Amino acid sequence: MTETSTAASGTATRPSSSGGGTGPAARQAQRRRRDRIRRWSWGIPMWILALVFLLPFAWMISTSLKPDLEAFAIPMQWIPDEPRWENYTEVLFGENSILLAFWNSVFVAVLRVAGELTTATLAGYAFAKLRFPGRGKVFIAYLATSLIPAQLLLVPRFVYFQELGLYDTLWALILPGMFTVLGTFLMRQYFVSQPDEFAEAARLDGASEFQIFFRVYLPNATSMISALAILTFVWSWNDYETPLVFLSSPETFTLPMGLTSFTDENGAMAAGLSMAAAVISIIPILLVFLIFQRRFVRAMTESALK
Amino acid sequence: MHPAGRRLPSRRQFAGALGAVAGTAAVAGCSSGPAKDMNTLQVWGGIPAENGPQQVIDRFQEEHPDITVEYTRYINDDRGNVKLNTALQGGVDIDVFFTYGVPNLTMRVSSGLAADVGDLVRSTPELEMFLDTDDPKALIDGDEITALATTRIPQMVLFNDELRERAGIDLPQQWTFEEYLEAIRALAADGKYGTYVLPDLARIELGPNYRFTADGDSNFSHPAFLRHFDLAAELIREGVLYPWSQALARQLEAYQQNNFIAEDFGLWTTAPYSLRFLTDQEEYPHDFTVSAAPVPTLDGADWNTGEYGAFVQINSKSPKQEIAWEFSKFWLLHGGQDLIRAGYISLLGDIDDDQLLEGILGEDAEQFFDVDSFRRTLFEDQPRMHLDTELTAYTEITQKYEQQRDVCWLLERSPTKAIETVDKNAQALIDRFEED
Amino acid sequence: MTTAEARADGAAAPPGAREPTARRRRTPGRAPSDPKPIVGWLFIAPNLLGVLAFTFIPLVSVILLSFTEWNLVSGFGGIEFVALDNFIAVFQDPTFWRSLVITILYAGVAVPLTLVVGLALALALNRDIPARGLLRAAFFVPYIVNIVAIGMTWQMLLDPSAGLMNQFLGIFGLEHLPQWFASSHWALPALILVTIWAQAGYANLIYLSALQDAPTQLYEAARIDGAGRWASFRAITWPSLLPTTVFLLVTLFVGISQTFGMIALITNGGPGDSTTTLSFYMYQTSFQFYRFGYASAVGLVTFIGIFALMLLMWRAQRGKALHD
Repeated sequence: MTETSTAASGTATRPSSSGGGTGPAARQAQRRRRDRIRRWSWGIPMWILALVFLLPFAWMISTSLKPDLEAFAIPMQWIPDEPRWENYTEVLFGENSILLAFWNSVFVAVLRVAGELTTATLAGYAFAKLRFPGRGKVFIAYLATSLIPAQLLLVPRFVYFQELGLYDTLWALILPGMFTVLGTFLMRQYFVSQPDEFAEAARLDGASEFQIFFRVYLPNATSMISALAILTFVWSWNDYETPLVFLSSPETFTLPMGLTSFTDENGAMAAGLSMAAAVISIIPILLVFLIFQRRFVRAMTESALK
Repeated sequence: MHPAGRRLPSRRQFAGALGAVAGTAAVAGCSSGPAKDMNTLQVWGGIPAENGPQQVIDRFQEEHPDITVEYTRYINDDRGNVKLNTALQGGVDIDVFFTYGVPNLTMRVSSGLAADVGDLVRSTPELEMFLDTDDPKALIDGDEITALATTRIPQMVLFNDELRERAGIDLPQQWTFEEYLEAIRALAADGKYGTYVLPDLARIELGPNYRFTADGDSNFSHPAFLRHFDLAAELIREGVLYPWSQALARQLEAYQQNNFIAEDFGLWTTAPYSLRFLTDQEEYPHDFTVSAAPVPTLDGADWNTGEYGAFVQINSKSPKQEIAWEFSKFWLLHGGQDLIRAGYISLLGDIDDDQLLEGILGEDAEQFFDVDSFRRTLFEDQPRMHLDTELTAYTEITQKYEQQRDVCWLLERSPTKAIETVDKNAQALIDRFEED
Repeated sequence: MTTAEARADGAAAPPGAREPTARRRRTPGRAPSDPKPIVGWLFIAPNLLGVLAFTFIPLVSVILLSFTEWNLVSGFGGIEFVALDNFIAVFQDPTFWRSLVITILYAGVAVPLTLVVGLALALALNRDIPARGLLRAAFFVPYIVNIVAIGMTWQMLLDPSAGLMNQFLGIFGLEHLPQWFASSHWALPALILVTIWAQAGYANLIYLSALQDAPTQLYEAARIDGAGRWASFRAITWPSLLPTTVFLLVTLFVGISQTFGMIALITNGGPGDSTTTLSFYMYQTSFQFYRFGYASAVGLVTFIGIFALMLLMWRAQRGKALHD
């Protein structure tokens, strides 16, 4: 996470430091000190800004440890006198436990990621590196479909899933999520930025197209693949609309649906429980992101997404 | 095995899906077919099982040992209702379902989700009351009956006695709207509001089907509607009514018990289903007693703003119509005693008023309530209830009405303008969907 | 970088517009061992079939549906052909036009502001500051959090009387605090605020990666020429970020114009109709009013509108690219 040194050396918006003179040691020490001051004089305001950005999450955690009615206490009390950890046990193991929803979300996300990575890398590679008649037209059609408002397809998919018996099953979320246009587009952009020469050389050596893909290009694509994995995971984990329409039985609910179930039977939102559930729902995705964060940023940089 | 395996598609269904994606899906389904069990009845309702439904079901199963009933509780809000609607449309195994409120009822009936039980009702003498078309308690369209109300939901005015006495208000047994206004104005003091919202003045005056004229046109140009919007906006501005911005921000529209318990206002127009909060000292601790008064009358008009509701309906696609009907009938005729705890006053069944009263107010009634006032208001007065049966574009019109109400009561649009907009929109919707 | 973008454009161009040149440029002569055409099709087959099944077929169905009046329960036999009635109704429907205006306002403000905030953050973070990696991650976090958690949290943060935001604003002794989601005037600005908060991290990250490729030598040269910060930003940084900006503009517009969860969760389209965007209206007509045929028509008109808009933008950008 603390990639300060590597990241800093990677960029060069620090013109002053790149002059690199060989002056006396005193001047160098002075410059170093000036640099440090400069670093912190930018760093501190940015950190304050970041904390403001993250304030809603602090509030979320604080509220998750309070009884419902204190959510709106004036003035806001950041650290509750008696933190209600039982909000968490209630959310996890109580009547409306979100564990099943949690598991459903994991199940959907894992399958979606696996499917998406498979189909998107293959297709993205083909659009970038293989020539075949109709490629341009198909790709244009792909880009056009990405403009279709998601809500437009809800009705026909609803009918369609019902006919196929997929309605109210997790497959209604998994299957469409395995073939996204955006994933293909991202992978294509990445492969386009890779040199053609590898393939040509391998072809002359008699390698088959599948071998070229699997042995030559795929191994180099790991950071882009992890970026796509993260994005797909995020899309899947946070999807609200699809489960709202395609799932109806509580045992199929994914997390976003589960979170809404803490509107209690009396119609009032149970603030403490809802926030505890929200915090729990965020943790896995935060972990995934923090673990792969560096790779993710690098992949975004390499992928010619610009 | 995935815990939700039961809901995953069967092999056949999955093969179908595979066909659709032409064998590209690389995942194998672990599944066991959810074959529809002909002796298991799937029932969806909005009341938590433990508040009564489970007891009705237990007794039903005792009488019909060969039938199993599974109850699924859905939350009766926008989201919950969408879930039930899509489940019904999507062919989920549901046999009997309960519908709350006419907008949801309209949608389900007009899309043909509910089976016609007309013949069944006519062949059951105990259910004769549902054939009454003058004071309808069922949705009747010619010979067709698609929904039966299970309860009456009379509205009443609850007083926080402590605040009432402090404001020097005598508990009314009959009162006019002018007296009501005096009362809420007197209660609005010391940082408290008079009440949450006015009872629907147009309803008191016009009764059932008040949105439509005799010719089926929009009736929102009737002065009663404007008066309701106007007066409420005025009282919100004066601080007599609870601020609507607050009601919206906290999504209080359906339930206001927390505010009544917190003594934000001393008078609350509500229905018996709210009383269970007031008997629950653990979750809703309070130290004042509560008494009841009838909904005020307006220029001699005395419609109660409450309606017949909690409709039982049978899924038109259910293959188990017969046992579904058996269950519905059982619920109507014998469910009353179990559901009274949840504040649902059965329309049928041989339960006398005292039993009902004890059921609604709980065992320690005297501790929390002025019991006599409730007996008077809910039973002796025989409040005049209604049921809207003219349903053209009902859901859409309700939405337009609520939208304008909101901006009007947020004091962001004049009542005249708001009502004009409702009227125009309603007429346009009626013109467009009338023939349906 | 620009080459990559040009290629992306080439592929996105109508047939014949650009692709042939790109192809010629990349492979001067056809290599003897070029893959057979079928191989390419095999590679895209899994994805293509999935897209056909789950996007294309539904799209065709929705076109058919839009000429009908139908609710699902009546079965396929109950489909009633109504010719252009739905489309005529769309154009006469004041709610449709109103939602269109709201969508334009919403996306029209939220998208550029998200870009500006994302860019400003990227420029600020593209310096040598302590724990920069963690900082970058911090700004990205809102983007990965699910909409339900975001919605519930902001709904309470923006509570007009007791929310943290108004408690804070109250410190300054403001008389009329914004009522946020409890006001038909403030609900859309509130929605925009939350949208920017949630999306800025994404714009920030993409801009940051673009800045990594900034032409360093040019900065040196500019510095030697004595150009100020602003001048060198305008002369060097901004032009080099233009393709990124276009990419972000398109993706953010597509994403933000489809915002649904937040609206459904917090405002349900209100107060009044102040947050009823087209995407929400589409959902409402399908799954609250169950007018499937009509909903399809509304959606199709919207889709065609977005498509036309993107085509225009693409033309404009291509025109510019040709000038360069």
